[in-house]
Amino acid sequence: MLPIPTGVILLVEDNTDDADLILRAFERAGVANAIHRVEDGHQAMAYLAGEGKYAERLMYPLPAVILLDLNMPRINGFQFLVWLRTQSEIRRIPVVVLTESKDSASVNRAYDAGANSYLVKPATSEEINRVVEDVERYWVGMNERPRLILKGKAGD
Amino acid sequence: MTTVPQNRFRRSPLGSDAVFRRLVDSVEDYAIFMLDPRGYVATWNRGAERIKGYSAEEIIGQHFSRFYSQRDQEAGRPEAVLRAAAEEGHYQEEGWRIRKDGSRFWASVVVTAVRDDDGALIGFGKITRDLTERRQAEQRYRLLIERVTDYAIFSLDARGNIASWNSGAERIKGYSAEEIIGRHFSSFYTPEDRAAGLPQKVLATARANGHYEGEGWRVRKDGSRFWASIVVTAIFDEEGQLTGFSKVTRDITERKQLLDEIRRHAQELELQVREREATNADLESFSYSVSHDLRAPLRAIEGFATALREDYAAILDETANDYLDRIGSAAVRMNRLVHDLLHYSRLSRLDLALEPTSVHAAVESALAQLTNIEGIDIRVPGELSVMAHPPTLAQALSNLIGNALKFHVAGRQSHVVVAARPLEGKVRVEVSDDGIGIDPVYHERIFQVFERLHAADSYAGTGIGLAIVKRAIERMGGKVGLDSSPGQGSTFWFELPKV
Repeated sequence: MLPIPTGVILLVEDNTDDADLILRAFERAGVANAIHRVEDGHQAMAYLAGEGKYAERLMYPLPAVILLDLNMPRINGFQFLVWLRTQSEIRRIPVVVLTESKDSASVNRAYDAGANSYLVKPATSEEINRVVEDVERYWVGMNERPRLILKGKAGD
Repeated sequence: MTTVPQNRFRRSPLGSDAVFRRLVDSVEDYAIFMLDPRGYVATWNRGAERIKGYSAEEIIGQHFSRFYSQRDQEAGRPEAVLRAAAEEGHYQEEGWRIRKDGSRFWASVVVTAVRDDDGALIGFGKITRDLTERRQAEQRYRLLIERVTDYAIFSLDARGNIASWNSGAERIKGYSAEEIIGRHFSSFYTPEDRAAGLPQKVLATARANGHYEGEGWRVRKDGSRFWASIVVTAIFDEEGQLTGFSKVTRDITERKQLLDEIRRHAQELELQVREREATNADLESFSYSVSHDLRAPLRAIEGFATALREDYAAILDETANDYLDRIGSAAVRMNRLVHDLLHYSRLSRLDLALEPTSVHAAVESALAQLTNIEGIDIRVPGELSVMAHPPTLAQALSNLIGNALKFHVAGRQSHVVVAARPLEGKVRVEVSDDGIGIDPVYHERIFQVFERLHAADSYAGTGIGLAIVKRAIERMGGKVGLDSSPGQGSTFWFELPKV
């Protein structure tokens, strides 16, 4: 059992414009922690499972929080969530949904699938800055991180 | 007449011939008398006197042929009747007879040959009943039926062969009585119905249930078809034996065609409604997804314009910065538009769960959504509640109050009054201002999407706010309206069911 060692944020976002603007907002917020972006649920699974280049955990550490878009090609956010919550080692990583829709059906479905928080993408850069700062302060700064379960050992 | 066993009544005074004769004498409803073997009247009772008009003195010894008409006498009817009775032992008939005064009556006659113990003919017993009234009633009834032309009324024997025919039947089916009487009624059915055994089923049903009613295609003599409404009634005699059927048929082809046409129109209408509903649903989901998909590029436009201005302000001149500002604010405006459209479209898609909602609380939460709420006078009694979806009610109020504040007379802040009062099972909420007012010709239009009366420059807005109010209130089972004229300010009102 190890605490998640770093304050890394994993951004799962297929829209490059949104991703770049969010990454820029993190930069401008002066967030020291590394933020990694993957382009869809499939890549996110590879990252978390440590497949291919992601096997190098020093380069691609397990995140303290995952920022997840829902509407993505191939494996969408819901499918990714369901997958994540069944992974024995990493299932406790907090997930904050950051998406377009505030349809109550989507909101409920995301929570049912195991989301820890649900945010709607803000319309203006001013609001994006605020959301990014809040996420960083709360989920990385304040939130008590769960312990991950190492292979072959029981969790607590 | 049944012979009474002699030994039974021999000892009783009731068994005597004298008593029996007195009984016969006193019968009034039947003429009962005896004829000698040649046809001369031998006895006469009271009924005979009453029916035929002769007294016993007058008639005894006279020949019974005088009861027949001249023509019957010439044709030898009286002799034929006696001959038949003598041969058969018994003869029965109905026919016209003549009274003493020369008038006719319709007689039902039974003649019985009377023989002695050796079998020698000693005379005839004759019983006559006057059935004139019944005969006339039947006659009237037959004439009545024959003259009916709107209905085919005819009778069938027990096997379904046609026994009588009226003029309505001739008119509707095209056959004359001579042509059709004796033929089976299945001639009127279509080959398909005949093959399916429908005529037999009709008779079987009428026999089992007393009658059969139905509608269907029938065939005229010329082969053309008509839509018939039929009633078949089974006729039973006193012993419960089926003697035949009466059948009444109406040609309701025109009514059927009208009904079919109405039905077809109704179906078409239903189809159109369903298509329109499908189209509406398509449009709703279309506008929803368009609105959704519009937001991502808008975010990028605004975001990168801001990034450009922030990161490269130093190397851009004033004009470039101004352009970037305009790009940014245009994106913000469009974003608001998309947001409102999305909201409008969501209002029609979602089921609004209605609950008792305090109007005052809804006003409070509406004010919380507005940035500048100066000059608003709230006159809403705390106890007033309506059936509503709270966030939607608050949104509607917020839009109305926002509008009231926005359309103020240039250079002067509007005074806005929000009032509510109960009104005939409802609550009427009014948002009044002393702003610029609205010409009545626009009162309908302003509740439609994108209807703007003013250029965006003079009064900012998306043109969707009032459309949202209207749809929100209507989705909650209420209605909206407006009292206003230019320069007089405006009062927007809505009514929702009172709790």
